[in-house]
Amino acid sequence: MARLFVRRRGGGIEVRLNAAGRAFVAAVAQRVAAAERGDDPGWGPLLASPIEPAGVEDPLVTLGRQRDVATNAELVGLTVGDDELTDAEAWAWLSTLQLALRALADENAITDDDALASSASPIVDQVHTLQLMLFALASCL
Amino acid sequence: MLSRILALADTGAGAESESATSSATTVERTWDVIVWNDPVTPMDVVVVILRRIFGYSTGRCTQLMLRVHHEGRAVVWTGRRQRAEQYCVRLQVAGLRCTIEQAT
Repeated sequence: MARLFVRRRGGGIEVRLNAAGRAFVAAVAQRVAAAERGDDPGWGPLLASPIEPAGVEDPLVTLGRQRDVATNAELVGLTVGDDELTDAEAWAWLSTLQLALRALADENAITDDDALASSASPIVDQVHTLQLMLFALASCL
Repeated sequence: MLSRILALADTGAGAESESATSSATTVERTWDVIVWNDPVTPMDVVVVILRRIFGYSTGRCTQLMLRVHHEGRAVVWTGRRQRAEQYCVRLQVAGLRCTIEQAT
C-alpha cells in the first residue's frame, strides 16, 4: 500500500495524498471548524465533552479548548494543498482528523466493532479513510 | 538591607505563614487525568498523542494505551487540579476522550 505521509530527511513530512484525499481532509477540517463555531449541530455537542462530568466547567477552559480546536482546523485548511508539512502542521492534521473520527463515531452511535460493521457503507468508508490517514500520520510523528 | 531581611525572618509572622501554606498543601487533593476507550481511535494514535503531550517513553505510552483498550480507561497523569485540567484540555483538543476526577 502506498504511504500517504512520509518523513523526509530534512525533517518535514511529505504529503502524498491525491486530489480526492486532499478534498476529503479539507471537508473534514471545515466541518470541525464549523462545529466549534456552533454552526454544526451534529458535531458541535460531541466536541465539547465536559472535563469533569460531575462538576461545573470553567468557561475559560471551554473557550481555550474551542480556540485550540478551531486553530488546528484552520491550520489544516490553510495547509491542505501543501506538499510538505512541519511537525506542528502535521500535529494539527492529526488532532483535527482524530476529532472528526470520534465525532463521526458518536454521531452514528458506533460504540463497538459490530456497530461499525453494521453502519451504512458511506459511514464505514469515512471511518476507514480517517483511520488510514491517522495511522499513516502517527507513523511520522 | 541584609540585617533587615534577617530581622523579618525572625518574626513569628513568617513561621505562621509557612505553617498555613504547609497545612493547605496537606489538605489539597490530587486529581487523575483519565483517558477513556473508544471503538474507532487507532492504537498508534493514542500512543503518539500521549508521548507528545506528556513526554513519556513509547513503552510507557503503549502500556497506558493497552490499559485503556482492555480496561476501558487508564489514569495517565495525577497531580494538582489546574495542571490536570490543562492536560485534559490538551488531550481533548488532540481528539481523545478524557476527563478528570479526584484521586482516590
